[in-house]
Amino acid sequence: MASSDLSPSYGASSPDGRSSPIANTNSSPANGSAGRGTKRRRRAPSTSPCPSPGPYLAPPLPRTAAAMPSADIPPSFTPSSSRRRLRRRETVTPSTPMSADDSIPPSSEAGDDFDPVDPEDADSTPVFVWGTNISVQDVNAAILRFLRHFRDPRETGRGDGLMEEGKYMRAVHRIMELEGGESLDVDAHDVFDYDPDLYGKMVRYPLEVLAIFDIVLMDLVARIDPLFEKHIQTRIFNLKSSVCMRNLNPSDIEKMVSVKGMIIRCSSIIPEVKEAIFRCLVCGHYSEPILVDRGRINEPTRCGRQECLAMNSMTLVHNRCRFADKQIVKLQETPDEIPEGGTPHTVSILMHDKLVDSGKPGDRVEITGIYRAMSVRVGPTQRIVKSIFKTYIDCLHLKKTDKSRLHIEDLMDVDNSSNSRTIEDDTPDYQDKVDKLKELSKLPDIYDRLTRSLAPNIWELDDVKRGLLCQLFGGNALKLVSGASFRGDINILLVGDPGTSKSQLLQYIHKLSPRGIYTSGRGSSAVGLTAYVSKDPETGETVLESGALVLSDRGVCCIDEFDKMSDNARSMLHEVMEQQTVSIAKAGIIASLNARTSVLACANPSESRYNPRLSVIDNIHLPPTLLSRFDLIYLILDKADEQTDRRLAKHIVSLHFKNPETVVQDVLDLPTLVAYISYARKHIHPQISDEAAEELTHQYVEMRKRGNAPGSRKKVITATARQIESLIRLSEALARMRFSEWVEVRDVAEAFRLLEVALQQSATDHSTGTIDMDLIMTGISASERTRRENLVAATRNLVMEKLQLGGPSTRLMELLEELRKQSSIEVHLNDLRNALATLMSEGVVILHGDSVKRI
Amino acid sequence: MTTLIPIGSHLLRPIEREREREREREREMVGLAYDFLLNPLGAVRLAFEKAVASSPPDADLAAAFRGKDWGAVDLFRDFLFEQGGLSQVPILDASTIRWVQPNTLVRFRGMVQDMLGNELYVGAYKNGSTWRTNKFTDVAPSPMPPAFETQLWERHLFYCVPVPGQNSWTMEPSPSPGARNMSSSTSQHGVKRGRTTEDDMDLNVVSYNGDEGSSNTKKQKEGESTCQSSSSSEDLVNHGGDLELKNGDSSCLSCLVKIYDMPESHLKLNDVFEFIGIYTFDPELAGHKDNSDDLMYDLFEDPMAHLPPSKVPRLHCLICRKLVIQDFLPNSPVIEPLPNMIRKIRESLLLHLSAVLGNDEVAAQYLLLHLLSRIRAQVDVITVGKLSLNLTGFTRESASIFGCQLTNAVEELLPFAHAIPLTIEYLNNATLQPRKDNKTGRLVAGVLQLAQGTHLTIDETRMQNGTLTSNGVVNARLLKHLLEWQKVEYDFEYYKLEMAADVQLLIISEGKSSILPADLVLPFCPKSVAPVNATSEQLQAWRWYLATMRSLQHSSEPETSQILQDEMVAAMQEDRSLGYAGLTRWLTMAELMSASFGEKCVTLEHWQMIKELERLRKERLR
Repeated sequence: MASSDLSPSYGASSPDGRSSPIANTNSSPANGSAGRGTKRRRRAPSTSPCPSPGPYLAPPLPRTAAAMPSADIPPSFTPSSSRRRLRRRETVTPSTPMSADDSIPPSSEAGDDFDPVDPEDADSTPVFVWGTNISVQDVNAAILRFLRHFRDPRETGRGDGLMEEGKYMRAVHRIMELEGGESLDVDAHDVFDYDPDLYGKMVRYPLEVLAIFDIVLMDLVARIDPLFEKHIQTRIFNLKSSVCMRNLNPSDIEKMVSVKGMIIRCSSIIPEVKEAIFRCLVCGHYSEPILVDRGRINEPTRCGRQECLAMNSMTLVHNRCRFADKQIVKLQETPDEIPEGGTPHTVSILMHDKLVDSGKPGDRVEITGIYRAMSVRVGPTQRIVKSIFKTYIDCLHLKKTDKSRLHIEDLMDVDNSSNSRTIEDDTPDYQDKVDKLKELSKLPDIYDRLTRSLAPNIWELDDVKRGLLCQLFGGNALKLVSGASFRGDINILLVGDPGTSKSQLLQYIHKLSPRGIYTSGRGSSAVGLTAYVSKDPETGETVLESGALVLSDRGVCCIDEFDKMSDNARSMLHEVMEQQTVSIAKAGIIASLNARTSVLACANPSESRYNPRLSVIDNIHLPPTLLSRFDLIYLILDKADEQTDRRLAKHIVSLHFKNPETVVQDVLDLPTLVAYISYARKHIHPQISDEAAEELTHQYVEMRKRGNAPGSRKKVITATARQIESLIRLSEALARMRFSEWVEVRDVAEAFRLLEVALQQSATDHSTGTIDMDLIMTGISASERTRRENLVAATRNLVMEKLQLGGPSTRLMELLEELRKQSSIEVHLNDLRNALATLMSEGVVILHGDSVKRI
Repeated sequence: MTTLIPIGSHLLRPIEREREREREREREMVGLAYDFLLNPLGAVRLAFEKAVASSPPDADLAAAFRGKDWGAVDLFRDFLFEQGGLSQVPILDASTIRWVQPNTLVRFRGMVQDMLGNELYVGAYKNGSTWRTNKFTDVAPSPMPPAFETQLWERHLFYCVPVPGQNSWTMEPSPSPGARNMSSSTSQHGVKRGRTTEDDMDLNVVSYNGDEGSSNTKKQKEGESTCQSSSSSEDLVNHGGDLELKNGDSSCLSCLVKIYDMPESHLKLNDVFEFIGIYTFDPELAGHKDNSDDLMYDLFEDPMAHLPPSKVPRLHCLICRKLVIQDFLPNSPVIEPLPNMIRKIRESLLLHLSAVLGNDEVAAQYLLLHLLSRIRAQVDVITVGKLSLNLTGFTRESASIFGCQLTNAVEELLPFAHAIPLTIEYLNNATLQPRKDNKTGRLVAGVLQLAQGTHLTIDETRMQNGTLTSNGVVNARLLKHLLEWQKVEYDFEYYKLEMAADVQLLIISEGKSSILPADLVLPFCPKSVAPVNATSEQLQAWRWYLATMRSLQHSSEPETSQILQDEMVAAMQEDRSLGYAGLTRWLTMAELMSASFGEKCVTLEHWQMIKELERLRKERLR
């Protein structure tokens, strides 16, 4: 026995495919099984209908064991089984069976006086778990009490006294009725609530306690229905505390542990022989089923039939053997448990029977099981011995925890269908987080707080940040039955002077939405799936053109230097921003790919600084059609304010010298912010209330009316249908920020305010001071249009006056001088060129380079 | 192939003297039952027995010794550092492994490339009535007693490789084999075993050797003054493919280090450490393939199966310490950091750099600042302290001259330097991203798994138009991410993990690189091709200067920071386009400038120098 503890048998032992890892409880195979076998026979003779199998100590065992693969099968060795065996210890003469190598107490006896179910029947000598002071009888009774009497406090709360049966008795009945279930899931929290002492024993001596648990359960079942043959296994889950994988250490060996992690690999299913049948090649006689003994099957050396007795004639009959499934799974730490600068740990998990294939690679699971070690084998011929052990966890219970993370990966996953999934979201951990988020959402100043938390190191620009927040939260995407769909994504354009931390904002947003892509307009072809490196032949600048938009499906696509984007790429954006798809022509097939992305772009003015006298479109040279697809356009102008500069300087200096004063108060840290946004996007789908709808209509009409400014010749468009869609999205996003299922009037009001602020910045006609959507739709404001018409008229007059028909050409600058003398308004060379171009199309003049000629 | 740096005779002499002293000591200590160098395990055992004997007889002895040291390490610490034994401990590398005896004390310097978790072993067991220990060994000398007479202890496994891009001048000469062989016991057994080792390792070395032909090595570079950019890029693609072959050099020996009694978090991925411990090699274990009839064993496949002891030596670590750059300066001169001394070295280094850069002094100034940069903090989206430099205006010809000189110069000055030729083929084929192979359980190194403080030169001059594959896109993105955030994303199959890096990036390109937008873009204007040469004393001084100045701690007084703030506001008024990024960069440069003078505090003078430099740069950009 001592020698059998050495590596070889160890290795094969515990993972020997028994359906439950807790088999190794009794001091010897014969003893345990025989004992209980006899007992069972006594109680329920009908469960063992098989013929008596002569050579075994426990005649009825094989068949019964077949039905209940776990605790009754002869166990084999594990390091612990030899260390803490269930052992009869006579109180009077405690010295007798103490040494390690005495074994196998008389079996029949043990069976008779070891009656786990009815402690009152048992004789008075207590049986202890070897090496401990845990009395088997006590544990037995405790388990029985627990199973019989435990009542879920949550249920009793609404309780009428009529509830006769405890939670687990009902579960047992259900299993028996269904005939399908083979395991009883026992919540360890329940055990703890009912009997902390039992819980402690169970966690510290799982092998022994669980074996008793199984026995108790079996007897319980046998009492209810003696004919019930299936074995019901106990599966403990939800331990009070789970261990971090990297903290598993030698003291956890043979203890019940619970670890969380991600399955990274599953082995194929390994069938393992539990029971073998041999056939004699000479006479065709089938042997009795032979059980696995310590991970080995002993092939009979001679035929069992008296008439034959041929030597070495037995051959295995595969299809009459009984097999059990086994699988080895690798579990890896999840990213949140890995300390900085570390790599994830892995641990092997051994799965049996029903647990096989219950998890797939990529699943996040919580495993409850027994941590075990086995020594590494060295071939039998080796002189030296390796002292290394391999560790693994014998799995008792597997729980998928997939949805219990508030992680960045599904930040943008807003599939409306997905929220109907009902996978256990109820882990306390997760609930905690959600509760905290909900608490946050109830704060009256949550909107401001969120605004402050977004890029806290960038000051002012609060309205811009609010707009960006709306983008992160997003509106509700809507798909009507008619097939029309409305996007929920909000697109934002930032235009502004260089050096106004636009890029900073972009990068911050990018950090908040990892599914998104950060790209530079220079290098985005928007479409292609592959990327292309192109080199400017003149400057030698290399540019990487990659298909950014396809990659940021369900994310925020941040495009820096939007103005530098090629026209071709920009034209693709039309489709993306309205239809939310990208069409790709590849090898003759046009594929339409989803690109459900919000676009956050920032552009620099085409001249080095923003010219407030020109329209947005003139400043950034973007086609108006594209511009109108942005919900919000912000102008970020550098106002050369010394106060701001000083603040910025101070901030940068403190960053470098690590002054603590940079800490901004009352802000959410990045992970919380990410979790908050992700939760809102996933679970909150606000509807527009009637009052809010009313307000929307009302405000919109008001906005349209404002265009009819008195005195203007032409009607100024101040809002279009696109704006009302934007307003809806914005108000939905605002409701989401409060975790509110209803869009209220105040959301609409705020949405209007945001839109107004943005429009005021971008769509204000600076010559008249009114908002003019034409500025964005066509790039030319109504007043500008009048001015241009006037200029054309003036130029025509001038040309008619000064130039002879077919006469010598005049230089452009001369004309400009003349015009400036005549007209009161300032005239730019560009304006003149435009005017002349109009005249040219009328066939009045010819413009050739710098010279003008009348025809 | 194992041409170590030629060891000058003046270097040998102290070692010989040391050896002499050692012999004397041996003679004195005849009574000692063990030899720290040759029989360290004896010392371990003795210490254990002593500890057992001195503890109360009824205490649970073995359990009391779990997870802590019981005097053995102190014994060695005393021997190594108090009695000066450190210099006698050979450094384990591909050349010394030929003669280093198993179960002797060795040193190993390397980067933690992978963490293989922990391993349980029978730490103590009862042999008869006495407790014995298995600590610091892989094998037990006698069969293990039953489980209840053993104690399971744990140790942490780290897979360590020579620091990627480590330059050959950093290799410390270790005691020569002759010395060891003479003093080592010449018992028949020992020799026999030694030979087995050698044969085994020979195979291994040959395989490295074969690859050396294709992958170019630093060694060759130094000898023939070829340079990275002149060799074909296909070669270099291979170069990054497999870490084991990366250096193709005599130093290329990875090692499985087993650490005791120390939280795992003490070592971080990519940290550079020196381990002093016991090298074990057991031919019986090495030759033996694990029994394949045991299915279970195969299924619990573990990374160790891919690291057979014959290829990867085991080192049971007694003492380890984290290394900084200064530790890689062999026999560094003890220079008093006097201000005028530093000034002098600075001037000579600037001269050298400008010679390397064809007398472009502005570029030399910028290069100096760049070489001194290091990451100091990460505050949400800002990385403080990095200063990547993009030298533009290289043509093919100038790249072959100056680019080559530049890479060589950097390699001579910094301990860890790496060069990447950025071409379409390289991007498409190279493995830049470290990736966890869940099949083998190993972290497969990528080119970007680099130690802190590594210098990376990226040569973009040979980039042509072309299409990138998805791998190419990933690689380009990784490089850009590293440049902007100083973080490298490691691929763990089901998720990605970002690891912090501290890598100085120097990009040389024809035009401004948009693939890798550096902090500073400087058009490079060489005036002449000057011969570059430096004496070894100069080199030593420069190396010392760069390493020391780089690790200076910056500080600030309220007055200076006030002055700086005023200056910054003034600068903003002058040039509105400066903005956040610009100011941050200027401040970083000012700090580096002050560091280059060996000063800890930025002064107005430094700020003015920066402004002047930036003015010159702006002129060039126009």
